Amino acid sequence: MRIESDTILSLELPYRERLTLQRTAFVGGSGPRVAVVSGIHGDELEGLYVTHRLSAWLEELGRRQPQALRGSVELYPAANPLGLDSLERSVPPQGVDLNRTFPGHSQGLIAQRVAAALMRALTGAALVVDIHASNVFLREIPQVRINQEFRDSLMPLAQTMNLDVIWVHGAITVLEATIAHSLNRADTPCLVVEMGVGMRVTPAFTEQLVIGLLHTWRGLGVLDEDIELPPLTHAPFLADDGNVHYLNAETSGIFIPTIEHWTGVQQHQLLGSIVSPHHGGSLSEVRSPTDGVLFTLREYPLVYEGSLMARIMASGT
Amino acid sequence: MSESSSHTLLHMTAPLRDDFDIAYHDVGPREAAPRAALVAGIHGNELNGVFVLARLSAYLRGVVAGVHEGQQLRRRVVILPAVNVLGINTQTRVWPFDKTDINRMFPGYSAGETTQRIAGAVYELTSTAHYRVDVHSSNLDFEELPQVRLYEPSDAEREAAQRFSLPAIIERRMDSVFTSTLQHAWKRCEGQSFTIQAGRAGTLQPGHCEQLFRGLVAFLVRCDILTGVELASDDDLTHHFGVRQTCPLIAERAGMFVTTAQVGHWLQAGTVIGRIYDGFDGELREEVRAPVAGMLSGIRRQPLLYQGDLIARIQTRFEMDAPTEMALQGLAQ
Repeated sequence: MRIESDTILSLELPYRERLTLQRTAFVGGSGPRVAVVSGIHGDELEGLYVTHRLSAWLEELGRRQPQALRGSVELYPAANPLGLDSLERSVPPQGVDLNRTFPGHSQGLIAQRVAAALMRALTGAALVVDIHASNVFLREIPQVRINQEFRDSLMPLAQTMNLDVIWVHGAITVLEATIAHSLNRADTPCLVVEMGVGMRVTPAFTEQLVIGLLHTWRGLGVLDEDIELPPLTHAPFLADDGNVHYLNAETSGIFIPTIEHWTGVQQHQLLGSIVSPHHGGSLSEVRSPTDGVLFTLREYPLVYEGSLMARIMASGT
Repeated sequence: MSESSSHTLLHMTAPLRDDFDIAYHDVGPREAAPRAALVAGIHGNELNGVFVLARLSAYLRGVVAGVHEGQQLRRRVVILPAVNVLGINTQTRVWPFDKTDINRMFPGYSAGETTQRIAGAVYELTSTAHYRVDVHSSNLDFEELPQVRLYEPSDAEREAAQRFSLPAIIERRMDSVFTSTLQHAWKRCEGQSFTIQAGRAGTLQPGHCEQLFRGLVAFLVRCDILTGVELASDDDLTHHFGVRQTCPLIAERAGMFVTTAQVGHWLQAGTVIGRIYDGFDGELREEVRAPVAGMLSGIRRQPLLYQGDLIARIQTRFEMDAPTEMALQGLAQ
């Protein structure tokens, strides 16, 4: 097994420095090539720890059982390096959302050049996993998100990812410029993983996803079929546009949940309240519209009218 | 001046401060649908349009009140000077609380996120108007010549765009990055839709504002919405550029960009537009020259230049291949 580090893009910055996009590749045999991308949004850190844990596992494999890597694994931990360095979700300085810029353009703005470089590097892989960590407002249970258009090809891969939810979205035009859509359109399978919350790392979620990635890679032939892996610990629920309920704030204030994330709820059950810092009364009670499982919960307490507080997957579907 | 034209589009609560309104002006005769709807300030730092629409509303209220002898407002006009109210008051382009771009939330959804609700209300107010105008001012880094932008227009829109008498009418394709803009949502409605770009965000440019104000008045007059106003005969100042008549200049060197170029000027091929210096040692890295002859319709005003940045746009008299323009056009609207 070889471990290679290289730079897939280097751009001049106004004052002395350069922006570089770094890749680490673990190269074994001639089997399939897979990749993990994270840090497309500069405020999402969960994926950075995942790539660290994968590196540790692969380095250990290289010491003990290098021949078990039949293919190759590429890690792109920091797709938006300037954003990560400056705690910006989008790509500084233009403020462009990198994940609305794909497939990019090699002669365009920074974000478009980064997108184009990633597309060049990733197209043709047997599987790309793009790890997101929600945003600073919402906490997500580890889940795979799939566009309906690519359901048939991606669902078998998603099933072994050891995550709690597979959410199949309808075709929404606004998401056409994402890395996942662009890669899937180019016949390179890409799964989007959402887990945790922005600006934080959740180690338990990391370990859960790492196990899933290893099982999925073994299934693809990247890892030897006889390699021993920790057993899968989670089986996914299926969510879609028909069974997911959104709870948006009726009024503005501080949202105080009275329920834990990822728990079963009953119809009309109290989930939390919106209160005012100016007086002692409650402004709004937040109740579940259905029996089900609460899989998204607001982490950032302030809400405006309309802010999303929770998502519930109805049971019995 | 009377405040009776002011109406509340949306009343919203806020977590800590007082409730707030997004307000609009409704002037002219009562009609089921407005003849014209004018919108600005979807981005809270684009101030030229906000100021001009506020001034235009004052002028039209004066017309209705009989202040301007012989002038008459014959049709209903709604004017929304600023959609992103909190953005104006915090000098922020996007919705300041969750940083979402309201112009990526259309047509909106009344039961959705805050900005979807705002977008939904704006769309509902404006979508039934026959003439719809959305005014923008680029971004903090770039200055645009006051111009009408047309996105895959009808022949009627091409013809009507002349009525603004702005120096340029520039056609664009409706790229996928635009699918959630107000302009894109309007495209599904009967009637005609226009985007106007004027100047640069984060500042107020009196010259551009004057041109924009006169352009909007001229449009209302030529659409028979406003009568009794004598217009200057400046039709010949408008130039119409098709989708293949825009040449973008992209930086391939980074550094400090220095320019004295003015939008609206006609350039010869090879004219120096600006210079790029090394920010550390002060050496000249590159002279930026116009690759083609044409009208300078936009110029970078932010001196910190990154590799890949848009330096300028030149509108050409003849059609050309401009492969990068498509990919760059979504960033300022």
